[in-house]
Amino acid sequence: MSLWLCLRFHPLPLQCLNRSEKLAVAVLVKQRVFRANDYAAALGIREGMGAATVRALLADEPAQLLERDPDAEVRSLQQLCCWAYSITPSLHSYREDCLQLEIGSCITLYKGLHRLLAEVHNGIRSRGFQAEYGLAETPSAAWLLSFSHADLLTSYQQPLRERLAPLPLSLLPDYSNEVDSLRRAGLNTFGCLFSLPPTALARRCGAGFSRFLQQVLGQHADLRRDYQPPATFTDEYWFGYEVRANNELLPAVQLLLQSLCRFLRNTQLQTTEINWQLTGVDRSLRTICVRSTSGHSDSQSWYQLTRIRLEQLELKTGVEGVTLRCDRLDDSQLENIDLFSARTQREPLFALLDRLRSRLGLQAVEKVGCRNEHLPELALHVCQDTPAKDGGEQPRQQRPFWLMPGPRKLSRKRSHLYWQGKLELVYGPERIEDNWWQEAVSRDYYVARGERGQHYWVFRDRLHGGWYIHGIFA
Amino acid sequence: MNEALQQVINRNDTWQGHFSSQGLCSNSDGHRQQNTLSSGYSTLDAELQHGGWARGSSIEMLSDGCGLGSMGLFLPAMEALSAEGRWQVFIAPPFTPYAPLLEARGIDTEQILLVHPKSREDLLWATEQALRSTTSSAVFSWLGAHNYSYGELRKLQLAATGSDSLSVLFRPLDAAHNHAPASLRLQMREYRKVHILKQRGGNQHLDVELPPAEDVPNQPQLWEVPVWQESPQTQPAFAFA
Repeated sequence: MSLWLCLRFHPLPLQCLNRSEKLAVAVLVKQRVFRANDYAAALGIREGMGAATVRALLADEPAQLLERDPDAEVRSLQQLCCWAYSITPSLHSYREDCLQLEIGSCITLYKGLHRLLAEVHNGIRSRGFQAEYGLAETPSAAWLLSFSHADLLTSYQQPLRERLAPLPLSLLPDYSNEVDSLRRAGLNTFGCLFSLPPTALARRCGAGFSRFLQQVLGQHADLRRDYQPPATFTDEYWFGYEVRANNELLPAVQLLLQSLCRFLRNTQLQTTEINWQLTGVDRSLRTICVRSTSGHSDSQSWYQLTRIRLEQLELKTGVEGVTLRCDRLDDSQLENIDLFSARTQREPLFALLDRLRSRLGLQAVEKVGCRNEHLPELALHVCQDTPAKDGGEQPRQQRPFWLMPGPRKLSRKRSHLYWQGKLELVYGPERIEDNWWQEAVSRDYYVARGERGQHYWVFRDRLHGGWYIHGIFA
Repeated sequence: MNEALQQVINRNDTWQGHFSSQGLCSNSDGHRQQNTLSSGYSTLDAELQHGGWARGSSIEMLSDGCGLGSMGLFLPAMEALSAEGRWQVFIAPPFTPYAPLLEARGIDTEQILLVHPKSREDLLWATEQALRSTTSSAVFSWLGAHNYSYGELRKLQLAATGSDSLSVLFRPLDAAHNHAPASLRLQMREYRKVHILKQRGGNQHLDVELPPAEDVPNQPQLWEVPVWQESPQTQPAFAFA
């Protein structure tokens, strides 16, 4: 059986603009009070009052009269949707200040309705919002019941008609004509309505109203599109003052990363790249891109990587806001840590790689690999991400530990070779010939000993003459 | 023991056999063994205090230029460490390690990281990061000819103490005149001859020859030069030209 939880954020127009309780705040629509905070209510300001009355009541009190901002409400409701998605996958926003959560399917997951409600309550409170709760078999009924003050846990199993009966019909502002005519006929509550025969009611109030009533009672389907989490992540933090020191940005960074990681966990996604945008007081934008080798959703490691970047950053102007954007999201792949390994590895392998790269640059960290080639300089493959691993046949002859970036010419004096001192050939030759299709190479490699006993890998170019040093035995 | 595993053991609904106390004992024994790593050369192991390289403490290798075999000294250790599947980090290496040789010596080249810091500060930072990280099994850092204060080296030593990786710092011979916090300082004087300059709580000031007989046969790391068929002295270099 489906069970809908309606969260009605009555003070949302107020709370998405200003949450202060230290002064009277009222949101006005067409010079009438739409919502007012508790401080204003204590002064006698009520919803629907005119602006002039409010000013008279305020007298000298500190106050803020704001114009309603529907865009801010929509944004807040979207963020709340994003949070509620972690509770149940099927939810949608309803009217302009409500969320409808289908929770019947996840009561078992939370081990009971009271735990689920506690979770919802904590979530709403930690976000600084207030909501009224309604619980019923249909979304519309849940919304209606959010106006009743009956205890949720004890009453929700009673028959729906009984619970709706005491509610006044004036709750339906969308059907003011019908409600008006019903009121004139002496019908004020839902209870009176339900005792009328449905056909008579349909004749009196029209098809639209009677269909709404059927949806409330679950006799007519009330289908709505479920909320889908957005494809990218964006969140911002405004300081409200000028920040000059880099480390003062860190709390905001941490907060945004936590919000990102919650989003990633809820959507089962990972990312390899996040973008920070610092907005200066002069509206200048500064973008920092933080990358990671492998996708993950761990806020701690993102935090460390961002910190390395911020330590190097020089702020030219004070910063007013931070935006975190994440456009490339991939499906997550879980990595298991070895349960029985005695080693003390506490983080995944890529963490060190990321830390080094974010401070020293992408090019500063390289990996090596082998190709199946005869020429030493081709057999060694150095690159930044995935080196070749052909293996090929293993060398049986002497090979040095270090290979020079390229062969270097040896100087010759009176039948002796010199490289930081006189060289003496001690072993060889080993002929390596290859690359005939491009630029033929034919070399005789020798092991040479230096004056202090160092061993070098030198070769003689058979085609062009000349001696070169190519490697060092170390 | 692994933290996650310990949590499971601490739960009272986890069934444990009667051998649990014995099991823990043998485990801690294993731990002690793993804190030293055989160098792969019996003569050197005999002179080193714990019978091998000590993990969690830095080793200083003093040597001017390459070619005397100071890296060859650590090849057996690298081979043993590659079983752990963690990084072996080369910080500011003088050249590129020749991957086919490493492969032939049984070292997993995918674990090798080459780090090229641009400044002295970055070099110290990268070394410290690699030492502190639990994901590296060996850290080789070429500190170069810069002057380092005792405090900076001490910081690296502390970072090494906190980890279980093999940490080797390469420094020039001149550094022998200055004090260093490393518990083991080695010098490469001749090819295949190690001089122990300092060993905390162990033998000092002695030369150790590395016996060629212990080289793994048919492996292309040059230690002992095979005998040349004809004597090289009789044939000057230009004879090949």
